[in-house]
Amino acid sequence: MLILIPCLFLFVPALALVILRATQPNARYGWLVATGGAALGFFGVFAWLAVMPFDWILPAWQPLAVFPTPISFRADGVSWALATSIFALILSILLTGAIRRVSVHSFSWIGALALGGFGALAVAANNPVTLVLMWSSLDLAELLAQLSSAQSARNNERAVISFATRIAGSAFLLWSYITSFSNGSGYTFQSIPSSAGAYLVIAVGLRLGVFPLHLPYDAGSALRRGFGTALRLVGAVASLGALGRGLIVPSGATPFLAFFASVAALYGGWMWLRSPDELTGRPYWMIGIAALSVLSALSGSPTGAAAWACALILAGGALFLSSVQDARLNRALLGGAWSLSSLPFSLTASAWTGSLGFFFPFALAAQALMTAGFVRHALRPSGDDSLADQPAWARGAYPAGIVLLLIVQLLLGFLGWDSALQIGNLIFAPAASLLALGLVWGSRRFRVLNPARAHWVSAAGSGINGMYQGLWSMYRGLARLGLAVTDALEGEGGIMWTLLFMALFISIIAGGIQ
Amino acid sequence: MSAPIIWIALPFIAGTLILFLLGDKYASQIGGAIAAILSLIALFIPIDAAMLIGSVSFKISPAIQVFGRAFEFTSADGPLLAAIFGISAIWFFGADAAGMAHRFVSLGLMIVSLLTASIAVEPFLYAALLLEVAAMLVVPLLVPLHQKPGRGVARFLVYQTFAMPFILFSGWMLAGVEANPGDLRTALQSGVTLSLGFAFLFAVFPLYSWIPQLMDESTPYAVGFLLWALPVFTVIFALGFLDRYVWLKNTSQIADAILYAGVIMTVTGGLLCALQRHLGRIFGYAAIAETGLFLIALGLRTPNLLDIAFLALLPRGLELSLWALALSIIKRKAYRLKLSDVQGLARVYPVATGALIIAHLSMAGFPLLAGFPSRLALWQALSAQSLSAALWAFLGLSGLLVAALRSLASFVMADAPPRWELNETRRQAAMLGIGAFGLFLIGLFPQVLQPFLSSLPALFEHIAQ
Repeated sequence: MLILIPCLFLFVPALALVILRATQPNARYGWLVATGGAALGFFGVFAWLAVMPFDWILPAWQPLAVFPTPISFRADGVSWALATSIFALILSILLTGAIRRVSVHSFSWIGALALGGFGALAVAANNPVTLVLMWSSLDLAELLAQLSSAQSARNNERAVISFATRIAGSAFLLWSYITSFSNGSGYTFQSIPSSAGAYLVIAVGLRLGVFPLHLPYDAGSALRRGFGTALRLVGAVASLGALGRGLIVPSGATPFLAFFASVAALYGGWMWLRSPDELTGRPYWMIGIAALSVLSALSGSPTGAAAWACALILAGGALFLSSVQDARLNRALLGGAWSLSSLPFSLTASAWTGSLGFFFPFALAAQALMTAGFVRHALRPSGDDSLADQPAWARGAYPAGIVLLLIVQLLLGFLGWDSALQIGNLIFAPAASLLALGLVWGSRRFRVLNPARAHWVSAAGSGINGMYQGLWSMYRGLARLGLAVTDALEGEGGIMWTLLFMALFISIIAGGIQ
Repeated sequence: MSAPIIWIALPFIAGTLILFLLGDKYASQIGGAIAAILSLIALFIPIDAAMLIGSVSFKISPAIQVFGRAFEFTSADGPLLAAIFGISAIWFFGADAAGMAHRFVSLGLMIVSLLTASIAVEPFLYAALLLEVAAMLVVPLLVPLHQKPGRGVARFLVYQTFAMPFILFSGWMLAGVEANPGDLRTALQSGVTLSLGFAFLFAVFPLYSWIPQLMDESTPYAVGFLLWALPVFTVIFALGFLDRYVWLKNTSQIADAILYAGVIMTVTGGLLCALQRHLGRIFGYAAIAETGLFLIALGLRTPNLLDIAFLALLPRGLELSLWALALSIIKRKAYRLKLSDVQGLARVYPVATGALIIAHLSMAGFPLLAGFPSRLALWQALSAQSLSAALWAFLGLSGLLVAALRSLASFVMADAPPRWELNETRRQAAMLGIGAFGLFLIGLFPQVLQPFLSSLPALFEHIAQ
């Protein structure tokens, strides 16, 4: 039950805001309710540390004979680190939101609180059935939040495509669970069978929320930065968390998955380094860091995968929420580069304790690209908000939100879970850091490392649009075929076709029985 | 008072009286209340057991004789009757919100009473006749007065009528097989005849062409009721067959034939559902795919077959009633029900479109919703038996999911989105809201169905062994 309490601190204020919106639309204390709840949730999750590890098992589904796996959650080091990161992000979004000019504040706060609550439960899920339920809750919350705020046909379509892609990911997780029954019984994340590992990785990949590339908000929308960050990062971490819960046993598919993850990491890193600004580059940040997380998991380091997930949300969150030009805060953001370095005692120190083998150089290059890109964006934030014309409380709340994420990054390098106080890989980490420094140095001198022009960025989007159009054409072709079949069966000659099929089936059944 | 009078004669008489004496205004409430009361009686008052209330003692006797045939309910039938009449009550209460109370409620009560009689009749082969009479009563429900029946109605009646002689004939042959088990030729012939009979009743591929045609021709609510009632009672009838002739179930070829007929039905229903551009036809194909799941459950070689089959059967009534009600409301605004006609409707009818999507997702097995636990149980058992069959069933349900996403995209996409507003009446919104809540409740806590499931092994004791 202790697992649920911090989440309730998010759900209850969300519900209160819904009621407030209906009964007192002009209430001025909505932000305080939301932030108070998020703060309580953030501090509440530290209570897990006192009794970890522990389980929370819901009343069993009945009949027991057909539902052997109970709905259960487990608070352990990995789930605590991930949940702490999510709570910190939600609190930070609300604190930094104090200065944003958003006309639909309460909607975005309700959405962020609900996403945070479901995300925290998802990272604590202890088996695939529980996880798929939590993922689905998260998907529905995201869909509702997006549809209620998207304003054009194109943006609504993006929201539905995003929902569909995530469902496809959940379907892979479910299939991994179903296939395990062909070998006897279902599994928990403490003992992932080798046949399920590949499906789990594909499920996580599909659920990262990268497709469609851009959120269903116009480029100028204030929702992109605050609520958009929650939409992007919480869903991604709730997915990556599955890789941190147990060891993925190598199978025949592992080298192929590692190859695709390496390509994705390099692509993400390169595009991230060359993105014109951090919000445009956010999908590539997610692709790059998530691919590094997958590589860690495939190399046999589940805590490394979880560490990358924490870095994705904490370092990324601090960067994406920064919208004020402030030299001191910009320099503080560089703390995120430390978290990405995998140096001893950093957040990602445990990332490469497994065996990377042939994929070592790819991971090295990708990590360097991601770190260099982070440094470049941290030193040149694109936001145009100002603290000067804000009330005193907002001038205090905004930096607190950014600093909170930086402190949590440092904290997770030192306490609370298996990845804390790790020396890590002493060959990989210095090499990646040096390479990243070289890239930062080179980006000021070599044109090829400079930000891509706008039409380059849209080219990647148009490639995906082309794929989408291709799928759509295929679907239309199939629809024509389906129409021909149904016309034949429902038309005048339908009875004849039916009799033909029946004769065929009878001969097959009779043959089988004989 | 005997049980058959309470659960067969009473609803039939009530339906007749509503048809002739009541108007639209009260039909829905009275019909729904009667069904709800019958459901509560079935749930709380045991059959064939003396009850003492104060100083009054009474007992519901289990059987009556009519023209030498017996109609009999046992105490194990109670939860099943409660579920049947409970779901019927939902349909009847929703009829007013769907705008078709009078004829629907009266004929609906009569149909349910006849179908209930098919569970109780002895010798049980007479159930085929009762199913046929119920199918005939469906016709006036589907076709308004003074209107010529369409091709779908005609085909429905033809196929249901074809089923009856096949089943009666196979029953006669099976008795011969029991007397002479070594006669493989008769066993083969009876198996094929029986398969044909149930193929017509279940509307397996390609005999289901009448379902999408009906969705084109008739009101969604009436067709939805038909798609709930007939397959559910046919499953119970089929379970009775398998329970009586256990060797049928134990013959691996017959069990496989049932299973793969279900797989083909689920796959074709799911894929064709994904390719439709008409909300009504999508509904029809989804119902077909789900009926395929029932067949798969019947073909499983697991002792938990009954639990799995009824876990899928019970939420179907709620899913279809919610979906059909939402479709009826949407049809008033977009009569043709084409996807191109419903663009942007989510902002104008948010409760109806939301409920439709929830019901559709539930039928596709979306987690959190009522359809998920039963699909999960089915997939677990099926993958232990045949992973390839499980994959095909999975793909079939993925087709339903694609159709749900297409419908959702159509509802929310509009070039100039209108303002959010609520155009459903309070009654409609309440019915839809309660239905959607029910789907979430069963999806998260399927154990709420346990009171209905726990007595099933006693009903079909040979299968359960």
